[in-house]
Amino acid sequence: MSGFLVGWLAAIPAYAAPLLLAALGLILSERAGVLNLSAEGVMAIGAMTGAAVVLSGIAPTLGILAGVAAGAGLSLVFAIVVVVFRGDQTLAGLTTVAVGIGLAGVLGRDFVQKPFPGIERFGADAAPASNAFERFFLQQDPLVLVALALVVAVWWFLERTRAGLQLRAVGEDPGTADVAGVDVQLVRIAAVVAAGALCGLSGAYLSVAASHVWVEGMIAGRGWIAVALVIFARWDARRALLGALIFGAAEALGPRLQAVGAPVPTYLMMMLPYALTLAVLVLSSLVGRRGTDEPAALGSIYLRQDKS
Amino acid sequence: MTETAIAHPAGDGRPVSPSAGAPAGTPPALELAGVHKAFDGKPALIDAGFTLRRGEVHALVGENGAGKSTLMNVATGVYAADAGRELVDGELVRIRGPVDAAAAGLGMVHQHFRLVPRFTVAENVRLALGRRAGSPAAAAALVAAKAEEIGFPVRPDARVADLSVAERQRAEILKVLLLGARVLILDEPTAVLTEQESDALLAFTARLAAQGGSVVLITHKLREVAARADRVTVMRQGRTVLDGAPIASVTPAEVARLAVGATVAPVARPRRAPGGPALTVEGLSHRREDGGVTLDGLTLALREGEVLGLAGVGGNGQSELVACLAGLATPRAGSVALAGRDVTMASPAARRDLGLRVVPADRFAFGLVRGFTVADNLALAALRRGRYGSPLGVARRRIRRDAEAAIRDHEIHGATPGRSTGLLSGGNAQKVLLARELDDAVRVLVAHSPTRGLDVRAAQAVQAAIAAAAERGVACLLISEDLEELMALSARIAVINRGRIVGEMPVEEASAAALGALMVGHA
Amino acid sequence: MLDGLVITRRFDTPAWLSALVFLAGIAAGLAMATALLVAIGVPASALFDEVIGEAFMTASGLAQTLTFATPLICVGLSAAVALRLRFWNIGIEGQLWLGALGATAVALGDFGPEATRLPLMLLAAALAGAAWIALPLVLKLRLGVNEVITTLLLGSIAFLFAQHLLFGAWRDPATGFPISLAFDASERLAALGFGRTHLGLPIALAAALLVWFLVDVTRLGFYGRAVGENIEAARAAGVPVIAVTCAFVLLSGALSGLAGGLIVAGTEHRMSLTLGAGYTFSGIVIAFLGRFRPLATVVVAVIIGGVFTASDVFKVFYGISEAVVVLLQGLVLFGVLVAQFFGAYRISRANWGTTP
Repeated sequence: MSGFLVGWLAAIPAYAAPLLLAALGLILSERAGVLNLSAEGVMAIGAMTGAAVVLSGIAPTLGILAGVAAGAGLSLVFAIVVVVFRGDQTLAGLTTVAVGIGLAGVLGRDFVQKPFPGIERFGADAAPASNAFERFFLQQDPLVLVALALVVAVWWFLERTRAGLQLRAVGEDPGTADVAGVDVQLVRIAAVVAAGALCGLSGAYLSVAASHVWVEGMIAGRGWIAVALVIFARWDARRALLGALIFGAAEALGPRLQAVGAPVPTYLMMMLPYALTLAVLVLSSLVGRRGTDEPAALGSIYLRQDKS
Repeated sequence: MTETAIAHPAGDGRPVSPSAGAPAGTPPALELAGVHKAFDGKPALIDAGFTLRRGEVHALVGENGAGKSTLMNVATGVYAADAGRELVDGELVRIRGPVDAAAAGLGMVHQHFRLVPRFTVAENVRLALGRRAGSPAAAAALVAAKAEEIGFPVRPDARVADLSVAERQRAEILKVLLLGARVLILDEPTAVLTEQESDALLAFTARLAAQGGSVVLITHKLREVAARADRVTVMRQGRTVLDGAPIASVTPAEVARLAVGATVAPVARPRRAPGGPALTVEGLSHRREDGGVTLDGLTLALREGEVLGLAGVGGNGQSELVACLAGLATPRAGSVALAGRDVTMASPAARRDLGLRVVPADRFAFGLVRGFTVADNLALAALRRGRYGSPLGVARRRIRRDAEAAIRDHEIHGATPGRSTGLLSGGNAQKVLLARELDDAVRVLVAHSPTRGLDVRAAQAVQAAIAAAAERGVACLLISEDLEELMALSARIAVINRGRIVGEMPVEEASAAALGALMVGHA
Repeated sequence: MLDGLVITRRFDTPAWLSALVFLAGIAAGLAMATALLVAIGVPASALFDEVIGEAFMTASGLAQTLTFATPLICVGLSAAVALRLRFWNIGIEGQLWLGALGATAVALGDFGPEATRLPLMLLAAALAGAAWIALPLVLKLRLGVNEVITTLLLGSIAFLFAQHLLFGAWRDPATGFPISLAFDASERLAALGFGRTHLGLPIALAAALLVWFLVDVTRLGFYGRAVGENIEAARAAGVPVIAVTCAFVLLSGALSGLAGGLIVAGTEHRMSLTLGAGYTFSGIVIAFLGRFRPLATVVVAVIIGGVFTASDVFKVFYGISEAVVVLLQGLVLFGVLVAQFFGAYRISRANWGTTP
């Protein structure tokens, strides 16, 4: 039983990290007032780019960085559409998903189903684990630590720095931020691009670190879970960590149970993150917390020349 | 307005114009000339000008929509003018945004305060000052020091959302001064304040001017502000029609004539004897989603053919009362009855069937559909009564004919049945709403600030329509912050304060002073 | 940024301008897509031949296009009906899965006499789709929960439920593949004798006519416009807002469910796990490009059907992933989103201080 437990716990971070990375990015974007549904597509382009770069014989670390850059690039397009051209944020987010998945599929046709050496777990070359802690630790990879560091960094940035104050002001009340000399458009574009970088990192993690292969559709809804996770976390980086662990645990449970031969309805188990998010949405609105944490200007279009 | 010269209140020790302000030869603190500005082709400013001297309080007066705020928004770079010249201390400046404005020493306190509600006062100051504010602790210290200096109690760590309107205004003024403003522009600063709070604010502006600062008071309520101003500039329809006259040289009546362009006859108060009970509200209580009490056991009774005025400072529960009466909000306790029938939990539709009609304060909030044509807005409420065909088909031709008649009868200018309602001016959109709400079946009319934001002629037409409805036997609840309007139309005036009726009197016994005391009382 | 430019909202956009920017946006999107396809090795001449020539000008291509268009019409109508009320139905695929499952359940269970089997299958499909959107609808009306997220989550849950059945109880025992047993002849929509087109096409067209009648002719449609534009004003004017919202949103779910039913009963003749992907975005694109008008939706759905046909050709001849379909739709929508900015706003140069 304890073997199963350690195995399960050890598997959680690898499931939680991509959700967490994407959710941290989306938090940055949404705290600046840009509703961001684009994660599924941005992660797809990140995953494909990371795999393509590594398959071209370049180091996995650079592959990860390429995924980050690709995610940032696609998000820049999204940012320009919604910030400069004031496109509807819901529609533009869905469109970005389509373009990301489409580009990944069309440009990545030569890289499908080709295994490659990616980022390894700590335990890849080490001797077999001698105790439970080692068993847990050796199952992790460097990017899990990066994700943890990013939780602290994002929280610190938003709550403690002046740039974070400006970003939050843009998401709460862009008119006031503008009067205070904050370049609303620039902050929003920067926040969305940062979100894209983190979603790209999340996607690259899936291909380069988690599975060492790329296939079309490998994001498999994780981007949507990240969108839900942001609501679950009520736009707070610390709660996003908690939520990612819960969702990751739910996701990791099915395969672990299967691995020990327990007869489980796999696909019903996989509904857990979605059902949990639904439950959180319902519960948080029942206790009247709805709207109290959501950035006040989320989804709104800002135009200085609006006659008030 | 009456034909009396403006009396300067004794005792504040301020010199009377024209000796106020800086000595001759000093360049003006702010000068605007030849300013043009259009919104989507509609001119808002036409060759407008304004001159502000150092050390003076300058009233900028005009009707709503005259261009006062637009001109000052141009001066501070919020709007880019299409043409014009701006000088600060005699130097030609080019102000392209709020940062330039702050650098030039111009600070504006907007009607909608530029404070992030979820931030504390100190965080807002830190946001506005940027690098200059330093650490969070330093920003808080700056706030405390400035509050001390100008004699305004402002808590640095208070969340703006938790502050009263007057406190927010102080925080905003403090922020603007911390930004280095030597010219302080206040946009309708007293509109949201009680009388005592207004007095305190105006005394503060006088102190500021005495210390060499310059203050612009944008207002459409000449009387309460003019007493404290040194000079007055009047705007009408985007043009400057009186440019910086010493306040003692003009009478309020002259200013009113200049601002309005033509005088209009006051509306006669309806004289009909009240009939049976029409609207009865008993012990109505309501809370916001966050738990804040908005209505606290409110009771009032309205009879057929009677206009009951409801006075009060905005935000004391008026909007929630209207929403509860319309059936758009659910009260926590109490009852609402129409002609003796309880409708506390009835749908808006059921209330309409009993003759209730509502004109909300924001006519596009739950009155009109902005993107609808005039005809569709006029028809919307009557569809369910079957006037425009069966559920399987809408009688478009009849809708159009009725709309043409309504546009003619109610003199809705600029409207055609097929025109988008959002394109009408405020006054004409209000006429569309009144035309729909004052239909044949109206028994009770609830009107919330029905003339706010309208020019004088449109306001008068709206008031006349309400008076005429009352003469026909309609019971009218007129909720307004404009005491003159209330005293002109109402038979009785009740006062709402913190969600309760704190007093009621026949109009003959009512005075601005008596009502004002009830409005601001903290009973 | 862009401080030298002044952007003002137009109070009213003239019809010609709105049409012009719309077409310009589509053209820009198509130009981007063309450039991309040429860059990855599709000859420019082939593009025209495959899309226009093959998908619309040949009998077999046109038949294929119309077959693709059949469910696309339904999902386009589904998105349009919901969006008229500003209700974002991002769970079209979920309702489509449920519709397909509902029709399959009736077929596999042999419910009712054979003569009424097909109507019963399609009815089950529509009802299942409507049921699947009922929860987001109730949550939005009762608790104010944002429907974007709830419809999306239920879409994922529906697909997992389909997998649960097809990897479990419904799995084809003969092959072990995650597909259901094939339907009987009485459970298949009759072929029209033109390629693979089937009775679903006239059914979808009838649905479009019905939706047109509802939104453009009836009082319900008038109310729907009011609710979509300003829900509070509609409520205050006595419009039965809840009933109108329920009618439109449930209709949206039913149309998506019907799309699923038409796919299994008309084209696939069995339930599989590949039949429903991509319909959410296609539905929204079709509704958007059809300006939420039911009959325009039909036209756009046929054009998008042609893109699907062309994509089959690209896949066979150039090895291009079918993701090209979603990419193309995305690029066109990006083009339109950007272009609409120029219709909704007026852009001028700031000249403050330059005029004496």
